[in-house]
Amino acid sequence: MDRVASRAARKHHPLNAHFDLTYRCNERCVHCYLDHEDHGELTTAEILRVLEELAAAGILTLTFSGGEIFLRPDFFEILAAARRLHFDISLKTNALLISAEHAARLRESGVRSIQISVYSDEPAVHDAITKIPGSHERTLAAVPLLVAQGLKVKLACPLMPQNLLAYRGVMALAEKLGASYSFDPTITPMMDGSGGPLIHRVSTAALLPVLQDPVLSACYPRPAAQTDAAMPSGKPVPSLTSAVSSGFEFAAYEDIPCSAGHNSVYISPYGDVLPCVQLPVPAGNLRRQRFRDIWYHAESLEQLRAVRDSQLPVCGSCEIRSYCERCPGLALMEGGDVLGAYERACELAEQKARLAGVAHPLSALHAPGATARQAVGPCKTNFLVTTDNSFYRKGHDA
Amino acid sequence: MRKTIRWQKNPIVAWRAIDGETVIISPSDNVMHELNETGSFIWRQIDGRCSAAEIAGMLAAEYEVPPEDALADTEALLQQLAASALLVTAAAADGAAC
Repeated sequence: MDRVASRAARKHHPLNAHFDLTYRCNERCVHCYLDHEDHGELTTAEILRVLEELAAAGILTLTFSGGEIFLRPDFFEILAAARRLHFDISLKTNALLISAEHAARLRESGVRSIQISVYSDEPAVHDAITKIPGSHERTLAAVPLLVAQGLKVKLACPLMPQNLLAYRGVMALAEKLGASYSFDPTITPMMDGSGGPLIHRVSTAALLPVLQDPVLSACYPRPAAQTDAAMPSGKPVPSLTSAVSSGFEFAAYEDIPCSAGHNSVYISPYGDVLPCVQLPVPAGNLRRQRFRDIWYHAESLEQLRAVRDSQLPVCGSCEIRSYCERCPGLALMEGGDVLGAYERACELAEQKARLAGVAHPLSALHAPGATARQAVGPCKTNFLVTTDNSFYRKGHDA
Repeated sequence: MRKTIRWQKNPIVAWRAIDGETVIISPSDNVMHELNETGSFIWRQIDGRCSAAEIAGMLAAEYEVPPEDALADTEALLQQLAASALLVTAAAADGAAC
């Protein structure tokens, strides 16, 4: 997929869409960044029209997320429409409402993967995070139903102080259930910018045991080849990638921060179009505009597309850049500058470089004489370790 | 008499034409397939009504390749796509026009 994603990003061809169908939810997770009130969700007819516009524009991979998608009574109608339009469909859900009948319908709908939030192998820990007693049992009961249908299931586990060391248990649980897994210490501010969920963020120092765990290190891809002197002999280091991505590998994106606005787009339940759920830069609204017009003409997207990693004012000269998973959205939300550096990313990059054998790693933000404005507050950087094989390519020539 | 097979796209596969090529993703095995321009031409003609010979005829007319080469290439690609479960046989429709 790298070649296709890379080509799409280079030509700004829309390829991936993350579509939140609702922000309503039947859990109240302590770290959630959403306002769960319904402020006027798109109707069924509006969503079907949007899907047609996305398909016509060339979007291939479509992730339905929320909120909890199964709270929409029209969910299967939406799914059927997406199938008819030949999307590659993935879902994100807490699985509380998934029955055996639902699992069968999901398989018939050609859903490729289903990501389910699981916070621990211990019910009490999980339920304390979701604030719904019995949610652990109900969520896990859905997994065998989906696996039995041949559906690809991933247990996604955000890491917080209260469940930081649960990852080994979640790994074992996933393996037992026939699922893959991912861990992510990313905790973001609320979408309105308020920082309430950030009290659940794990400090960089507290993450050290996780970063050092050889079981996880074995999953890490090696950093991209580079020539700077800070590069050691090539020990595996963590790969920090976007939890809101389609799942395609980010090696496809040379010198651009990420796929947001290049080949990926986010759509809210109210029709708002953003480059990414983590990058709150409005590009337009699908109730008033057509998707093509927004994608190809929104000024905010054109500005974003002009950004190059190598030209970032601080990070462009960073010697440990290959260890960094800087997120433009978090740079904006937490540091106030989409082009800027921010503390958490720099700390994590230094930690990873140190673990990989770099002597005295120092990010550009922390380098003596750095003139850049210090980013304030913690940040959200994704730390995704997965058992997925993702895609591999087969060529057919006639 | 040998029955003519008519193929249709497997309804569960995802696909898009991107820059003249076609990307196909099969959810059952998580594999991405890519077709070049001529492969994409054939993919577009697969509608459950056209036989391999009829598609090959269109290919030969469009790309000015010898008919026998067009037929061999078309049949090979259809077999390859069918082996990957990207195609399924279409229900026979008597008299259906391609």
